[in-house]
Amino acid sequence: MKTYVARRLLALLPVALVVATVAFVLMHLAPGDPASVIAGPDASADDVQRIERQLGLDAPLPVQLVRWYGRLVRGDLGQSIFLRKPVTEAILDRVEPTLLLTVFALTISVAIGVPAGVISARYHNSATDQAFMMAALVGVSIPNFLLGLLLILCFSVWLGWFPVAGYSPLEYGYLKTLRSLVMPAFALGLVQSALIARVARSSMLDILREQFITAGRAKGLGERAVVYKHALKNAMIPTVTIIGISFALLISGAVVVEQVFNIPGLGRLIISAVLRRDYPVIQGVVLCIAGIYMLINLATDLSYLLFDPRVRYQ
Amino acid sequence: MRHTRRVPAVLAAMLLSLGLAAPLAAQEQPRMGGVFKAAMIGEPPTLDLHTTTAVLVQHITWHVYETLYTYDKNYNAIPDKGRTYTFKLRRGVKFHNGKEMTSADVVASLNRWSRLATPGKQLWKNVEAVEAKDPYTVVMYLKDTSGALLMGLARPNNGAVIYPKEIVDAAGDNQVKEVIGTGPYRFVEHKPDRHVKLVRFKDYAARSDAADGFGGKRTAYLDEILFIPVPDVAVRLAGIETGEYHYSQQLQQDQYDRIKTLPGVVPIIVKPSNWSTAVLNHKQGLMTDKRLRQAFQAALDMEPIMAAGFGNKAFYRLDPGLSFPEQPQWYSKVGGELYDQKNPARAKKLLQEAGYTGTPLRWITTKEYQWMFKNALVAKQQLEAVGFKVDLQVVDWATLVQRRNKPELWDAFSTGITFNPEPAFATGVACNWPGWWCHEDKEQWMAAMAREADHKKRKAMWDKVQQIFYEDVGRIKFGDSFSLEAIRKDVHGFQAKNELPLWNVWLK
Repeated sequence: MKTYVARRLLALLPVALVVATVAFVLMHLAPGDPASVIAGPDASADDVQRIERQLGLDAPLPVQLVRWYGRLVRGDLGQSIFLRKPVTEAILDRVEPTLLLTVFALTISVAIGVPAGVISARYHNSATDQAFMMAALVGVSIPNFLLGLLLILCFSVWLGWFPVAGYSPLEYGYLKTLRSLVMPAFALGLVQSALIARVARSSMLDILREQFITAGRAKGLGERAVVYKHALKNAMIPTVTIIGISFALLISGAVVVEQVFNIPGLGRLIISAVLRRDYPVIQGVVLCIAGIYMLINLATDLSYLLFDPRVRYQ
Repeated sequence: MRHTRRVPAVLAAMLLSLGLAAPLAAQEQPRMGGVFKAAMIGEPPTLDLHTTTAVLVQHITWHVYETLYTYDKNYNAIPDKGRTYTFKLRRGVKFHNGKEMTSADVVASLNRWSRLATPGKQLWKNVEAVEAKDPYTVVMYLKDTSGALLMGLARPNNGAVIYPKEIVDAAGDNQVKEVIGTGPYRFVEHKPDRHVKLVRFKDYAARSDAADGFGGKRTAYLDEILFIPVPDVAVRLAGIETGEYHYSQQLQQDQYDRIKTLPGVVPIIVKPSNWSTAVLNHKQGLMTDKRLRQAFQAALDMEPIMAAGFGNKAFYRLDPGLSFPEQPQWYSKVGGELYDQKNPARAKKLLQEAGYTGTPLRWITTKEYQWMFKNALVAKQQLEAVGFKVDLQVVDWATLVQRRNKPELWDAFSTGITFNPEPAFATGVACNWPGWWCHEDKEQWMAAMAREADHKKRKAMWDKVQQIFYEDVGRIKFGDSFSLEAIRKDVHGFQAKNELPLWNVWLK
């Protein structure tokens, strides 16, 4: 088990190298550069070139790539061009809102998705089942930015319950933070809960048809015990997989939702970095998100141990 | 420190439509206090005004930094006939770090501005030297007379703002590390994607004369100003509707009718704002052929182009002027017969004469500014109807501003020419700017206009430039456009201007 985890962690390194290279090359091959953005629309070409020199962006691409590797080895993601601080610091500044938002959204999607899936499966083909699945279909079909704007219209503009946008950091009080995250978390989480509900339902249905369920019922176990103790635990493996994937999807979904709700998280960081071509930040955030993806996958794999004693990692 | 009127004041008037500002500033006693939240279109790329022409940076920083001069309500500064300018500085003007501003700061800042800023470089072609005569006197020696010097020093965008000498020395040509000025508001913090926070500067040395345009007495009524980047236009609108923001910039013009009905919200039309244009490449490629440029010009019908871009008629105007009708001291219709020709027959003939064989006209545009894309889309159809082949390349803004510096990549690109009070700095006709429209006669008139101090003669020269603009087809002007902003009803003293001055603004 320990060697397995160590091996998986070691495997992060080559992946990180590939991600680092691809992020670097793609961004530098894309047109546009930060110097023109700093200089503004009325600046002449000389001014743009002068700023380019100051930023060290006039060096040939391979030279810049080698410099980037050199810094990476030392654990240094470089200096942001626009934020005037180290990328690592910029990322750490932005982790709080994104992390809280994704965890909150994940909680919502699991809290809605899993029960909805289980109930649908238990009352298979009933009106409840159909209503849940219909709602789930609508849920997976709505893009989260649209849902976000609808929520703003309904709960901020009409009802005035929540602020339109913006984020209140934890230091100003938990309740305020929670309040500022309710709508974004729903915009993000509802879509995923639909996905989770559909997967939970179908894996429950599969399990409920298994022989050991029939055996359980035959030996006189109550329906509750059958469904919630035996079936649910077995149905959790595909469900946890999809929850893991959801978590990763939520992080990328956060990019859009943070933009709509004006939340200064990793998503906003990368969007403004892309629009202004803040290369070090883009590379740093991509690398960081790739790392998070890989860790989530690892955590998902390890969580199987909890649900299925037959799973062994060596 | 502003308006150190040593030099005699002259000047013709242009009544900028204060129509909106006046009724808002009701006859009530202004009140101190309050946090003003302004929803801005994005993040400022830097806070060093010497190094950027980005309007957003000016909007924020000019509450912190100040120039030696500024514009009055008619967008005039004060020209002089001589070659030596003496600036007497006011005593007791303090920087936000407590230090008194002296001539050493002014000289250091002006020198840096002349090296780094686009208008500074242009102006300094005519400047021999700047020196500090005593702690409160700065003297500027010119090579030749200048009609544009004070207008240049008064310019807010990419303006000649005064930093403390130590900060200038520490930064050199790199970005300044500290944001310290002499303005009515003091910089506190910049939390990217969250806000730029300014607070009232208690020791601000205000002038005693009445407020006039951007000049005169500046009072910081507000305790705090938060410039909040809100990139999504729907959220800027929702936020002004719920009262979350006191001010929202750049709203969608097609929302105007709805905004008018919102309780608690006052729509603001900023007029003039800019003219939308296709910049043609005079250095390389198809558009170096004058006949093709003329065909481009002849083919267009501006009404549908502008209607597509700006929706509501209250927000655009068909007009040939390089300066706006709101600037009567510069405005002219000269050359206007070549604007909005709607003459496909002439365009076809010109194409034939030029022997056009269907080489695609590469036009770079962006959807980041929807109107640029829509202008281009309708113009493309009109151009194709007369026989042009148009390759419309839609990219993001950062790509556009980079590609436009490379003459081999394009034939036309979309942009807007923002309101500019002094023609000597007009990007719309500049030669050392993408498009490289360098026309011998035009350059001579422009140079003469920069030197000339007599306004009448300067106006005649500017008319000549406009004439050449149309005859030589320097650029394609589609039309004037106005922007839509909104404030809350409790905001008083707001001026509907492109520059966004928030001193003298108070909350009820």
